[in-house]
Amino acid sequence: MSVFDGLKFRKVSSPIHNLDPRIKFVYVICIFVAAIMFKSIIPLAALFVMQLPFVFVAKVQKQWLRSMRGAAFLAAFIFIINIVTRFFSAGYVFTAFDIEEATAMTLRFIVLVESFSVFFLTTSPDHLGLALEQSKVPFEFAFAFTTAVRFVPVLAEEAQTIMDAQKARGLELEKGNLMKRIRNYIPVLIPLIVSAIRRSLELAEAMESRAWGACKKRTNLYALKLHRGDYILLALIIVILVAASYFFVFVSIPTVASFFGL
Amino acid sequence: MALIEIKNLSYTYPGASNPSIHDVSLKIEKGEFVLITGPSGCGKTTLCRCFNGLVPHFYQGEIKGEVTVSGINVLEKHTYDMAKHVGLVFQNPENQLFALSIEKDVAFGLENLGASREEMRKKVDWTLKQTGIYDIRERSPHEISGGQQQRVAIASVLAMEPDIIVLDEPTSFLDPLSAEKIFEVIYRLNKEQGITVILVEHRLDLTAKYTDHLIVMDKGAIRLEGDPRDILSNEETRLIGVGIPKATLLYQMLKKEGFNLGDKTPLSSDELADQLLEAYGQR
Ligand SMILES: Nc1ncnc2c1ncn2[C@@H]1O[C@H](COP(=O)(O)OP(=O)(O)OP(=O)(O)O)[C@@H](O)[C@H]1O
Ligand SMILES: [Mg+2]
Repeated sequence: MSVFDGLKFRKVSSPIHNLDPRIKFVYVICIFVAAIMFKSIIPLAALFVMQLPFVFVAKVQKQWLRSMRGAAFLAAFIFIINIVTRFFSAGYVFTAFDIEEATAMTLRFIVLVESFSVFFLTTSPDHLGLALEQSKVPFEFAFAFTTAVRFVPVLAEEAQTIMDAQKARGLELEKGNLMKRIRNYIPVLIPLIVSAIRRSLELAEAMESRAWGACKKRTNLYALKLHRGDYILLALIIVILVAASYFFVFVSIPTVASFFGL
Repeated sequence: MALIEIKNLSYTYPGASNPSIHDVSLKIEKGEFVLITGPSGCGKTTLCRCFNGLVPHFYQGEIKGEVTVSGINVLEKHTYDMAKHVGLVFQNPENQLFALSIEKDVAFGLENLGASREEMRKKVDWTLKQTGIYDIRERSPHEISGGQQQRVAIASVLAMEPDIIVLDEPTSFLDPLSAEKIFEVIYRLNKEQGITVILVEHRLDLTAKYTDHLIVMDKGAIRLEGDPRDILSNEETRLIGVGIPKATLLYQMLKKEGFNLGDKTPLSSDELADQLLEAYGQR
Protein backbone atom coordinates (compact mmCIF):
# COMPACT_ATOMS: atom_id res chain seq x y z
CA MET A 1 0.00 0.00 0.00
CA SER A 2 3.00 2.27 -0.33
CA VAL A 3 1.28 4.32 -3.03
CA PHE A 4 -1.32 5.48 -0.56
CA ASP A 5 0.97 6.12 2.33
CA GLY A 6 1.33 9.67 1.12
CA LEU A 7 -2.38 10.20 1.75
CA LYS A 8 -2.17 9.18 5.37
CA PHE A 9 -1.16 11.98 7.60
CA ARG A 10 1.16 11.61 10.49
CA LYS A 11 1.50 13.82 13.49
CA VAL A 12 4.83 15.59 13.55
CA SER A 13 5.99 18.03 16.14
CA SER A 14 8.35 20.92 15.54
CA PRO A 15 8.33 24.59 16.48
CA ILE A 16 6.85 25.31 13.05
CA HIS A 17 4.30 22.51 13.16
CA ASN A 18 3.13 23.73 16.54
CA LEU A 19 2.41 27.24 15.31
CA ASP A 20 -1.21 28.26 15.13
CA PRO A 21 -2.40 27.42 11.61
CA ARG A 22 -4.40 30.62 11.42
CA ILE A 23 -1.33 32.75 11.95
CA LYS A 24 0.59 30.59 9.52
CA PHE A 25 -2.09 31.18 6.97
CA VAL A 26 -1.89 34.93 7.49
CA TYR A 27 1.84 34.55 6.93
CA VAL A 28 1.24 32.82 3.60
CA ILE A 29 -1.07 35.64 2.55
CA CYS A 30 1.53 38.18 3.60
CA ILE A 31 4.21 36.50 1.50
CA PHE A 32 1.72 36.41 -1.35
CA VAL A 33 1.06 40.12 -1.12
CA ALA A 34 4.75 40.93 -0.86
CA ALA A 35 5.57 38.70 -3.84
CA ILE A 36 2.96 40.39 -5.96
CA MET A 37 4.24 43.88 -5.06
CA PHE A 38 7.66 43.30 -6.56
CA LYS A 39 8.72 42.61 -10.09
CA SER A 40 12.45 42.39 -9.67
CA ILE A 41 14.80 39.65 -8.69
CA ILE A 42 16.36 40.97 -5.51
CA PRO A 43 13.27 41.34 -3.28
CA LEU A 44 11.77 38.12 -4.64
CA ALA A 45 14.98 36.25 -3.98
CA ALA A 46 14.93 37.70 -0.48
CA LEU A 47 11.39 36.41 0.02
CA PHE A 48 12.48 33.01 -1.23
CA VAL A 49 15.43 32.79 1.13
CA MET A 50 13.43 34.07 4.05
CA GLN A 51 11.28 30.98 4.07
CA LEU A 52 14.13 28.50 4.08
CA PRO A 53 14.59 28.64 7.86
CA PHE A 54 10.99 27.45 8.23
CA VAL A 55 11.75 24.45 6.06
CA PHE A 56 14.82 23.52 8.03
CA VAL A 57 13.40 24.12 11.49
CA ALA A 58 10.38 22.00 10.59
CA LYS A 59 12.72 19.33 9.13
CA VAL A 60 10.64 18.94 6.00
CA GLN A 61 13.49 19.52 3.54
CA LYS A 62 12.85 16.26 1.71
CA GLN A 63 9.17 16.80 1.11
CA TRP A 64 9.82 20.45 0.38
CA LEU A 65 12.42 19.58 -2.27
CA ARG A 66 9.97 17.16 -3.80
CA SER A 67 7.26 19.78 -4.06
CA MET A 68 9.71 22.31 -5.49
CA ARG A 69 10.81 19.77 -8.05
CA GLY A 70 7.16 19.31 -8.93
CA ALA A 71 6.85 23.04 -9.47
CA ALA A 72 10.07 23.22 -11.51
CA PHE A 73 8.39 22.11 -14.70
CA LEU A 74 5.73 24.76 -14.46
CA ALA A 75 8.37 27.34 -13.53
CA ALA A 76 10.41 26.49 -16.60
CA PHE A 77 7.28 26.83 -18.68
CA ILE A 78 6.54 30.26 -17.24
CA PHE A 79 10.11 31.32 -17.90
CA ILE A 80 10.05 30.22 -21.53
CA ILE A 81 6.68 31.80 -22.24
CA ASN A 82 7.90 35.04 -20.73
CA ILE A 83 11.08 35.08 -22.75
CA VAL A 84 9.35 34.18 -25.99
CA THR A 85 6.59 36.76 -25.69
CA ARG A 86 9.11 39.44 -24.80
CA PHE A 87 11.31 38.41 -27.70
CA PHE A 88 8.48 38.75 -30.19
CA SER A 89 6.78 41.82 -28.75
CA ALA A 90 10.06 43.73 -28.53
CA GLY A 91 10.71 43.20 -32.22
CA TYR A 92 12.97 40.17 -32.19
CA VAL A 93 15.51 41.59 -29.77
CA PHE A 94 16.72 40.26 -26.55
CA THR A 95 18.06 42.29 -23.65
CA ALA A 96 19.52 41.43 -20.30
CA PHE A 97 16.56 43.23 -18.78
CA ASP A 98 14.12 40.87 -20.49
CA ILE A 99 15.87 37.87 -19.07
CA GLU A 100 15.86 39.47 -15.68
CA GLU A 101 12.15 40.20 -15.74
CA ALA A 102 11.35 36.72 -16.95
CA THR A 103 13.46 35.32 -14.14
CA ALA A 104 11.65 37.56 -11.66
CA MET A 105 8.26 36.32 -12.87
CA THR A 106 9.42 32.75 -12.50
CA LEU A 107 10.82 33.48 -9.09
CA ARG A 108 7.54 35.04 -8.04
CA PHE A 109 5.76 31.84 -8.98
CA ILE A 110 8.31 29.81 -7.07
CA VAL A 111 7.87 31.96 -3.99
CA LEU A 112 4.10 31.45 -4.12
CA VAL A 113 4.48 27.70 -4.43
CA GLU A 114 7.08 27.70 -1.71
CA SER A 115 4.95 29.52 0.82
CA PHE A 116 2.00 27.28 0.10
CA SER A 117 4.06 24.16 0.39
CA VAL A 118 5.62 25.31 3.63
CA PHE A 119 2.13 25.88 4.99
CA PHE A 120 0.78 22.51 3.99
CA LEU A 121 3.91 20.58 4.85
CA THR A 122 4.00 21.97 8.36
CA THR A 123 0.29 21.96 9.16
CA SER A 124 -1.25 18.63 10.05
CA PRO A 125 -4.84 18.20 8.84
CA ASP A 126 -6.19 17.82 12.35
CA HIS A 127 -4.65 21.14 13.27
CA LEU A 128 -6.13 22.67 10.15
CA GLY A 129 -9.52 21.14 10.93
CA LEU A 130 -9.31 22.58 14.41
CA ALA A 131 -8.49 26.00 12.99
CA LEU A 132 -11.54 25.72 10.74
CA GLU A 133 -13.69 24.67 13.68
CA GLN A 134 -12.56 27.62 15.72
CA SER A 135 -12.82 30.26 13.06
CA LYS A 136 -16.18 31.47 11.86
CA VAL A 137 -16.54 28.60 9.38
CA PRO A 138 -19.73 26.60 10.10
CA PHE A 139 -18.90 23.35 11.87
CA GLU A 140 -20.39 21.26 9.06
CA PHE A 141 -17.62 22.45 6.73
CA ALA A 142 -14.88 21.81 9.21
CA PHE A 143 -16.35 18.38 9.84
CA ALA A 144 -16.59 17.64 6.13
CA PHE A 145 -12.94 18.57 5.79
CA THR A 146 -11.70 16.30 8.57
CA THR A 147 -13.86 13.39 7.47
CA ALA A 148 -12.55 13.77 3.94
CA VAL A 149 -8.99 13.62 5.23
CA ARG A 150 -9.94 10.65 7.36
CA PHE A 151 -11.58 8.67 4.57
CA VAL A 152 -9.50 9.48 1.51
CA PRO A 153 -6.86 6.85 2.35
CA VAL A 154 -9.59 4.37 3.26
CA LEU A 155 -11.32 4.84 -0.07
CA ALA A 156 -8.04 4.76 -1.96
CA GLU A 157 -7.20 1.45 -0.38
CA GLU A 158 -10.64 0.17 -1.24
CA ALA A 159 -10.28 1.29 -4.85
CA GLN A 160 -7.07 -0.71 -5.02
CA THR A 161 -8.80 -3.78 -3.61
CA ILE A 162 -11.65 -3.49 -6.10
CA MET A 163 -9.21 -3.04 -8.97
CA ASP A 164 -7.32 -6.14 -7.92
CA ALA A 165 -10.55 -8.09 -7.59
CA GLN A 166 -11.78 -7.02 -11.03
CA LYS A 167 -8.39 -7.73 -12.59
CA ALA A 168 -8.50 -11.20 -11.10
CA ARG A 169 -11.78 -11.66 -12.96
CA GLY A 170 -10.14 -10.72 -16.22
CA LEU A 171 -10.77 -6.98 -16.40
CA GLU A 172 -8.04 -5.30 -18.42
CA LEU A 173 -7.71 -1.71 -17.35
CA GLU A 174 -4.86 -0.57 -19.59
CA LYS A 175 -6.21 -1.74 -22.90
CA GLY A 176 -7.71 0.03 -25.88
CA ASN A 177 -7.98 3.67 -26.88
CA LEU A 178 -8.80 6.52 -24.52
CA MET A 179 -12.58 6.06 -24.57
CA LYS A 180 -12.20 2.34 -24.06
CA ARG A 181 -9.86 2.89 -21.18
CA ILE A 182 -12.27 5.24 -19.46
CA ARG A 183 -15.02 2.69 -19.94
CA ASN A 184 -12.78 0.02 -18.45
CA TYR A 185 -12.94 1.84 -15.15
CA ILE A 186 -16.71 1.58 -14.83
CA PRO A 187 -16.57 -1.86 -13.12
CA VAL A 188 -14.21 -0.30 -10.61
CA LEU A 189 -16.16 2.90 -10.07
CA ILE A 190 -19.58 1.40 -9.49
CA PRO A 191 -18.63 -0.86 -6.56
CA LEU A 192 -16.54 1.99 -5.18
CA ILE A 193 -19.46 4.39 -5.27
CA VAL A 194 -21.87 1.86 -3.82
CA SER A 195 -19.52 1.11 -0.98
CA ALA A 196 -18.88 4.80 -0.36
CA ILE A 197 -22.62 5.39 -0.07
CA ARG A 198 -22.99 2.52 2.35
CA ARG A 199 -20.09 3.86 4.34
CA SER A 200 -21.62 7.30 4.50
CA LEU A 201 -24.89 5.84 5.74
CA GLU A 202 -23.10 3.95 8.50
CA LEU A 203 -21.21 7.10 9.32
CA ALA A 204 -24.41 9.10 9.55
CA GLU A 205 -25.89 6.45 11.81
CA ALA A 206 -22.87 6.56 14.10
CA MET A 207 -23.00 10.37 14.19
CA GLU A 208 -26.70 10.36 15.08
CA SER A 209 -26.00 7.89 17.85
CA ARG A 210 -23.41 10.23 19.24
CA ALA A 211 -25.74 13.16 19.65
CA TRP A 212 -25.01 14.96 16.41
CA GLY A 213 -27.11 18.11 16.35
CA ALA A 214 -28.07 17.93 20.03
CA CYS A 215 -26.97 21.42 20.85
CA LYS A 216 -26.72 24.63 18.85
CA LYS A 217 -23.51 25.69 20.50
CA ARG A 218 -21.08 22.86 20.04
CA THR A 219 -18.02 22.84 22.28
CA ASN A 220 -14.53 21.67 21.50
CA LEU A 221 -12.11 19.45 23.40
CA TYR A 222 -9.15 21.48 22.23
CA ALA A 223 -8.64 25.19 22.30
CA LEU A 224 -6.28 26.88 19.90
CA LYS A 225 -4.25 29.31 21.94
CA LEU A 226 -1.59 31.65 20.71
CA HIS A 227 1.83 30.85 22.11
CA ARG A 228 5.08 32.76 22.07
CA GLY A 229 5.99 31.41 18.65
CA ASP A 230 2.74 32.68 17.21
CA TYR A 231 3.40 36.18 18.48
CA ILE A 232 6.89 36.08 17.01
CA LEU A 233 5.45 35.03 13.67
CA LEU A 234 2.85 37.77 13.90
CA ALA A 235 5.60 40.30 14.53
CA LEU A 236 7.50 38.91 11.56
CA ILE A 237 4.44 39.32 9.37
CA ILE A 238 4.13 42.95 10.35
CA VAL A 239 7.84 43.56 9.73
CA ILE A 240 7.62 41.97 6.29
CA LEU A 241 4.58 44.00 5.34
CA VAL A 242 6.05 47.28 6.57
CA ALA A 243 9.41 46.63 4.96
CA ALA A 244 7.81 45.57 1.70
CA SER A 245 5.62 48.66 1.59
CA TYR A 246 8.58 50.87 2.43
CA PHE A 247 10.74 49.45 -0.34
CA PHE A 248 7.83 49.48 -2.72
CA VAL A 249 7.09 53.15 -2.20
CA PHE A 250 10.41 54.81 -1.38
CA VAL A 251 13.22 52.74 -2.80
CA SER A 252 13.84 52.18 -6.45
CA ILE A 253 15.09 48.66 -6.53
CA PRO A 254 18.25 48.13 -8.56
CA THR A 255 18.28 45.44 -11.17
CA VAL A 256 20.85 42.69 -11.04
CA ALA A 257 22.08 43.75 -14.45
CA SER A 258 22.95 47.20 -13.15
CA PHE A 259 25.56 45.64 -10.85
CA PHE A 260 27.37 44.43 -13.91
CA GLY A 261 27.16 47.83 -15.53
CA LEU A 262 24.84 46.63 -18.24
CA MET B 1 -40.40 -0.23 35.84
CA ALA B 2 -37.78 -2.00 33.76
CA LEU B 3 -34.96 0.01 32.20
CA ILE B 4 -36.06 -1.02 28.72
CA GLU B 5 -39.61 -1.96 27.91
CA ILE B 6 -40.77 -2.85 24.44
CA LYS B 7 -44.41 -3.66 23.87
CA ASN B 8 -45.82 -5.29 20.74
CA LEU B 9 -43.32 -3.64 18.48
CA SER B 10 -43.59 -4.14 14.73
CA TYR B 11 -41.53 -2.26 12.21
CA THR B 12 -41.29 -2.21 8.42
CA TYR B 13 -38.49 -0.44 6.54
CA PRO B 14 -39.67 2.02 3.91
CA GLY B 15 -40.28 0.16 0.68
CA ALA B 16 -40.04 -3.26 2.28
CA SER B 17 -43.02 -5.59 1.89
CA ASN B 18 -42.56 -7.54 5.10
CA PRO B 19 -41.95 -6.25 8.61
CA SER B 20 -38.36 -6.74 9.83
CA ILE B 21 -39.59 -6.83 13.40
CA HIS B 22 -42.84 -8.49 14.19
CA ASP B 23 -44.73 -8.14 17.46
CA VAL B 24 -41.73 -8.04 19.76
CA SER B 25 -42.19 -7.52 23.48
CA LEU B 26 -39.20 -7.33 25.75
CA LYS B 27 -38.16 -6.24 29.23
CA ILE B 28 -34.60 -5.56 30.28
CA GLU B 29 -33.70 -4.67 33.86
CA LYS B 30 -30.98 -2.32 35.00
CA GLY B 31 -27.53 -3.91 35.22
CA GLU B 32 -28.32 -6.92 33.07
CA PHE B 33 -25.93 -8.39 30.50
CA VAL B 34 -28.25 -9.39 27.69
CA LEU B 35 -27.13 -11.47 24.75
CA ILE B 36 -29.14 -11.45 21.53
CA THR B 37 -28.48 -14.05 18.89
CA GLY B 38 -30.18 -15.57 15.87
CA PRO B 39 -29.58 -16.34 12.21
CA SER B 40 -28.58 -13.69 9.71
CA GLY B 41 -31.37 -11.34 8.69
CA CYS B 42 -33.58 -12.13 11.67
CA GLY B 43 -33.80 -8.50 12.72
CA LYS B 44 -31.15 -8.15 15.43
CA THR B 45 -29.67 -4.98 13.97
CA THR B 46 -33.11 -3.54 13.41
CA LEU B 47 -34.01 -4.17 17.05
CA CYS B 48 -30.79 -2.43 18.17
CA ARG B 49 -31.75 0.60 16.12
CA CYS B 50 -35.03 0.79 18.02
CA PHE B 51 -33.28 1.31 21.36
CA ASN B 52 -32.08 4.80 20.51
CA GLY B 53 -34.64 5.81 17.95
CA LEU B 54 -32.60 5.38 14.76
CA VAL B 55 -35.63 3.31 13.93
CA PRO B 56 -37.92 5.05 13.13
CA HIS B 57 -36.41 8.59 13.13
CA PHE B 58 -33.39 7.95 10.91
CA TYR B 59 -34.81 5.10 8.84
CA GLN B 60 -38.42 6.31 8.64
CA GLY B 61 -40.73 3.42 7.79
CA GLU B 62 -43.76 2.18 9.61
CA ILE B 63 -43.72 1.45 13.32
CA LYS B 64 -46.31 0.13 15.75
CA GLY B 65 -46.02 -0.52 19.45
CA GLU B 66 -44.14 1.09 22.33
CA VAL B 67 -40.47 1.53 23.14
CA THR B 68 -39.56 2.96 26.54
CA VAL B 69 -35.93 3.37 27.56
CA SER B 70 -34.94 4.87 30.93
CA GLY B 71 -38.50 6.01 31.29
CA ILE B 72 -38.42 7.92 27.98
CA ASN B 73 -40.74 7.22 25.10
CA VAL B 74 -38.19 6.71 22.31
CA LEU B 75 -40.71 7.23 19.54
CA GLU B 76 -41.27 10.79 20.68
CA LYS B 77 -37.66 11.82 21.20
CA HIS B 78 -34.84 12.60 18.82
CA THR B 79 -31.96 10.18 18.49
CA TYR B 80 -29.63 12.84 19.89
CA ASP B 81 -31.74 13.05 23.04
CA MET B 82 -31.30 9.32 23.50
CA ALA B 83 -27.52 9.45 23.10
CA LYS B 84 -27.10 10.26 26.80
CA HIS B 85 -29.04 7.14 27.72
CA VAL B 86 -28.19 4.55 25.08
CA GLY B 87 -24.84 4.14 23.32
CA LEU B 88 -24.81 2.16 20.09
CA VAL B 89 -21.65 0.45 18.88
CA PHE B 90 -21.76 -0.91 15.34
CA GLN B 91 -20.21 -3.76 13.45
CA ASN B 92 -17.59 -2.02 11.36
CA PRO B 93 -15.23 -0.03 13.55
CA GLU B 94 -13.77 1.79 10.59
CA ASN B 95 -17.01 3.60 9.75
CA GLN B 96 -17.69 4.78 13.26
CA LEU B 97 -14.53 6.78 13.71
CA PHE B 98 -14.40 10.05 11.90
CA ALA B 99 -12.03 12.30 13.76
CA LEU B 100 -8.32 12.49 13.10
CA SER B 101 -7.30 11.46 16.59
CA ILE B 102 -8.65 8.87 19.01
CA GLU B 103 -9.14 11.42 21.74
CA LYS B 104 -11.13 13.72 19.50
CA ASP B 105 -13.34 10.85 18.47
CA VAL B 106 -14.05 9.95 22.06
CA ALA B 107 -14.93 13.58 22.76
CA PHE B 108 -17.23 13.89 19.72
CA GLY B 109 -20.45 13.07 21.58
CA LEU B 110 -19.64 15.35 24.48
CA GLU B 111 -18.79 18.17 22.10
CA ASN B 112 -22.19 17.73 20.47
CA LEU B 113 -23.85 17.86 23.87
CA GLY B 114 -22.07 21.10 24.59
CA ALA B 115 -20.07 19.89 27.60
CA SER B 116 -17.51 22.24 29.07
CA ARG B 117 -13.86 21.66 28.31
CA GLU B 118 -12.89 20.63 31.87
CA GLU B 119 -15.77 18.22 32.12
CA MET B 120 -14.90 16.75 28.74
CA ARG B 121 -11.25 16.34 29.64
CA LYS B 122 -12.18 14.44 32.79
CA LYS B 123 -14.70 12.14 31.14
CA VAL B 124 -12.57 11.48 28.08
CA ASP B 125 -9.55 10.53 30.18
CA TRP B 126 -11.65 8.30 32.39
CA THR B 127 -13.19 6.57 29.40
CA LEU B 128 -9.86 6.10 27.65
CA LYS B 129 -8.53 4.40 30.76
CA GLN B 130 -11.62 2.22 31.19
CA THR B 131 -11.21 0.86 27.68
CA GLY B 132 -7.44 0.55 27.86
CA ILE B 133 -6.59 2.97 25.04
CA TYR B 134 -5.22 5.86 27.08
CA ASP B 135 -1.70 5.35 25.74
CA ILE B 136 -2.74 5.62 22.12
CA ARG B 137 -5.07 8.58 22.54
CA GLU B 138 -3.15 10.86 20.20
CA ARG B 139 -2.86 8.44 17.30
CA SER B 140 -5.04 8.61 14.25
CA PRO B 141 -7.59 5.87 13.46
CA HIS B 142 -5.55 4.30 10.67
CA GLU B 143 -2.56 3.84 12.94
CA ILE B 144 -4.30 1.38 15.27
CA SER B 145 -5.57 -2.19 14.96
CA GLY B 146 -9.19 -3.19 14.36
CA GLY B 147 -9.54 -4.31 17.96
CA GLN B 148 -8.28 -0.98 19.19
CA GLN B 149 -10.59 0.82 16.77
CA GLN B 150 -13.55 -1.04 18.20
CA ARG B 151 -12.47 -0.12 21.71
CA VAL B 152 -12.37 3.50 20.58
CA ALA B 153 -15.92 3.11 19.29
CA ILE B 154 -16.98 1.74 22.66
CA ALA B 155 -15.16 4.55 24.44
CA SER B 156 -16.82 7.15 22.27
CA VAL B 157 -20.29 6.14 23.42
CA LEU B 158 -19.13 5.41 26.96
CA ALA B 159 -17.91 9.00 27.31
CA MET B 160 -21.50 10.22 27.28
CA GLU B 161 -22.11 8.04 30.35
CA PRO B 162 -25.09 6.12 29.01
CA ASP B 163 -27.17 3.79 31.18
CA ILE B 164 -27.12 1.22 28.40
CA ILE B 165 -24.56 0.16 25.83
CA VAL B 166 -25.83 -1.74 22.81
CA LEU B 167 -23.21 -3.55 20.73
CA ASP B 168 -24.19 -4.97 17.36
CA GLU B 169 -21.76 -7.77 16.49
CA PRO B 170 -18.83 -5.64 17.60
CA THR B 171 -16.27 -8.34 16.94
CA SER B 172 -17.25 -9.75 13.57
CA PHE B 173 -14.32 -7.94 11.92
CA LEU B 174 -11.85 -9.08 14.57
CA ASP B 175 -9.71 -12.10 15.33
CA PRO B 176 -10.74 -14.25 18.32
CA LEU B 177 -8.11 -12.85 20.64
CA SER B 178 -9.06 -9.20 20.01
CA ALA B 179 -12.69 -10.24 20.26
CA GLU B 180 -12.11 -11.75 23.66
CA LYS B 181 -10.45 -8.54 24.84
CA ILE B 182 -13.47 -6.53 23.70
CA PHE B 183 -15.81 -8.87 25.58
CA GLU B 184 -13.72 -8.50 28.71
CA VAL B 185 -13.89 -4.72 28.48
CA ILE B 186 -17.67 -4.90 28.11
CA TYR B 187 -18.02 -7.38 30.93
CA ARG B 188 -16.00 -5.20 33.25
CA LEU B 189 -18.10 -2.16 32.42
CA ASN B 190 -21.16 -4.20 33.23
CA LYS B 191 -19.87 -5.56 36.52
CA GLU B 192 -17.90 -2.59 37.82
CA GLN B 193 -19.85 0.38 36.47
CA GLY B 194 -23.27 -1.25 36.49
CA ILE B 195 -23.86 -0.34 32.87
CA THR B 196 -26.57 -2.41 31.25
CA VAL B 197 -25.17 -4.25 28.25
CA ILE B 198 -27.03 -5.56 25.22
CA LEU B 199 -24.72 -7.58 23.04
CA VAL B 200 -25.62 -9.04 19.66
CA GLU B 201 -23.34 -11.97 18.85
CA HIS B 202 -23.00 -15.12 16.82
CA ARG B 203 -19.96 -16.32 18.73
CA LEU B 204 -21.66 -17.85 21.74
CA ASP B 205 -18.53 -19.89 22.44
CA LEU B 206 -16.91 -16.72 23.71
CA THR B 207 -19.87 -14.86 25.11
CA ALA B 208 -22.47 -17.22 26.56
CA LYS B 209 -20.61 -17.35 29.87
CA TYR B 210 -21.13 -13.61 30.46
CA THR B 211 -24.88 -13.50 30.21
CA ASP B 212 -27.81 -14.44 32.34
CA HIS B 213 -30.42 -13.27 29.88
CA LEU B 214 -30.28 -14.79 26.42
CA ILE B 215 -32.62 -13.83 23.60
CA VAL B 216 -32.93 -15.96 20.48
CA MET B 217 -34.54 -14.23 17.52
CA ASP B 218 -35.78 -15.70 14.28
CA LYS B 219 -37.67 -14.11 11.40
CA GLY B 220 -38.22 -10.80 13.13
CA ALA B 221 -39.59 -12.24 16.35
CA ILE B 222 -38.24 -13.39 19.70
CA ARG B 223 -38.40 -17.16 19.72
CA LEU B 224 -36.74 -18.01 23.01
CA GLU B 225 -35.77 -15.94 26.00
CA GLY B 226 -34.35 -16.62 29.41
CA ASP B 227 -31.55 -18.50 31.18
CA PRO B 228 -28.86 -19.40 28.63
CA ARG B 229 -28.29 -22.79 30.26
CA ASP B 230 -31.85 -23.81 29.55
CA ILE B 231 -32.06 -22.29 26.12
CA LEU B 232 -28.77 -23.63 24.83
CA SER B 233 -29.61 -27.18 25.83
CA ASN B 234 -32.94 -26.83 24.05
CA GLU B 235 -33.23 -28.70 20.74
CA GLU B 236 -35.25 -25.86 19.19
CA THR B 237 -32.36 -23.47 19.62
CA ARG B 238 -30.10 -25.67 17.51
CA LEU B 239 -32.75 -25.95 14.82
CA ILE B 240 -33.09 -22.17 14.52
CA GLY B 241 -29.43 -22.15 13.61
CA VAL B 242 -27.81 -20.77 16.74
CA GLY B 243 -24.18 -21.72 17.17
CA ILE B 244 -24.29 -23.66 20.43
CA PRO B 245 -21.01 -23.40 22.39
CA LYS B 246 -18.75 -26.44 21.89
CA ALA B 247 -18.61 -27.07 25.62
CA THR B 248 -22.39 -27.24 25.82
CA LEU B 249 -22.57 -29.65 22.89
CA LEU B 250 -19.87 -31.87 24.33
CA TYR B 251 -21.65 -31.91 27.68
CA GLN B 252 -24.85 -33.05 26.00
CA MET B 253 -23.06 -35.81 24.07
CA LEU B 254 -21.32 -37.06 27.17
CA LYS B 255 -24.56 -36.94 29.10
CA LYS B 256 -26.29 -39.02 26.44
CA GLU B 257 -23.49 -41.56 26.71
CA GLY B 258 -24.24 -41.88 30.40
CA PHE B 259 -21.54 -39.71 31.91
CA ASN B 260 -22.72 -37.93 35.00
CA LEU B 261 -21.35 -34.40 35.05
CA GLY B 262 -23.96 -32.76 37.24
CA ASP B 263 -27.08 -30.87 36.28
CA LYS B 264 -25.53 -27.54 35.39
CA THR B 265 -25.17 -27.08 31.63
CA PRO B 266 -21.71 -25.59 31.04
CA LEU B 267 -21.43 -22.53 28.81
CA SER B 268 -17.65 -22.40 28.40
CA SER B 269 -14.78 -24.84 28.23
CA ASP B 270 -13.60 -23.70 31.65
CA GLU B 271 -16.89 -24.64 33.23
CA LEU B 272 -16.93 -27.99 31.46
CA ALA B 273 -13.36 -28.69 32.52
CA ASP B 274 -14.28 -27.97 36.14
CA GLN B 275 -17.27 -30.29 35.93
CA LEU B 276 -15.17 -33.03 34.38
CA LEU B 277 -12.52 -32.68 37.04
CA GLU B 278 -15.12 -32.76 39.76
CA ALA B 279 -16.75 -35.90 38.41
CA TYR B 280 -13.72 -37.84 37.24
CA GLY B 281 -10.71 -35.91 38.50
CA GLN B 282 -9.90 -38.07 41.51
CA ARG B 283 -8.72 -41.49 40.48
N1 LIG C 1 -31.90 -0.27 5.78
C1 LIG C 1 -32.75 -1.25 5.44
N2 LIG C 1 -33.70 -1.05 4.53
C2 LIG C 1 -34.55 -2.03 4.19
N3 LIG C 1 -34.51 -3.27 4.71
C3 LIG C 1 -33.59 -3.54 5.63
C4 LIG C 1 -32.64 -2.55 6.04
N4 LIG C 1 -31.82 -3.10 6.96
C5 LIG C 1 -32.23 -4.37 7.11
N5 LIG C 1 -33.29 -4.65 6.33
C6 LIG C 1 -34.02 -5.92 6.26
O1 LIG C 1 -34.53 -6.22 7.55
C7 LIG C 1 -34.35 -7.57 7.87
C8 LIG C 1 -33.61 -7.70 9.17
O2 LIG C 1 -32.30 -7.23 8.98
P1 LIG C 1 -31.28 -7.01 10.13
O3 LIG C 1 -30.12 -6.27 9.56
O4 LIG C 1 -31.94 -6.41 11.29
O5 LIG C 1 -30.83 -8.50 10.46
P2 LIG C 1 -29.68 -9.04 11.41
O6 LIG C 1 -30.29 -9.99 12.33
O7 LIG C 1 -28.95 -7.90 12.00
O8 LIG C 1 -28.75 -9.82 10.42
P3 LIG C 1 -27.16 -10.01 10.45
O9 LIG C 1 -26.88 -11.12 11.39
O10 LIG C 1 -26.84 -10.39 9.04
O11 LIG C 1 -26.57 -8.71 10.84
C9 LIG C 1 -33.65 -8.21 6.69
O12 LIG C 1 -34.60 -8.90 5.94
C10 LIG C 1 -33.08 -7.05 5.91
O13 LIG C 1 -33.12 -7.32 4.54
MG1 LIG D 1 -26.96 -7.16 11.84
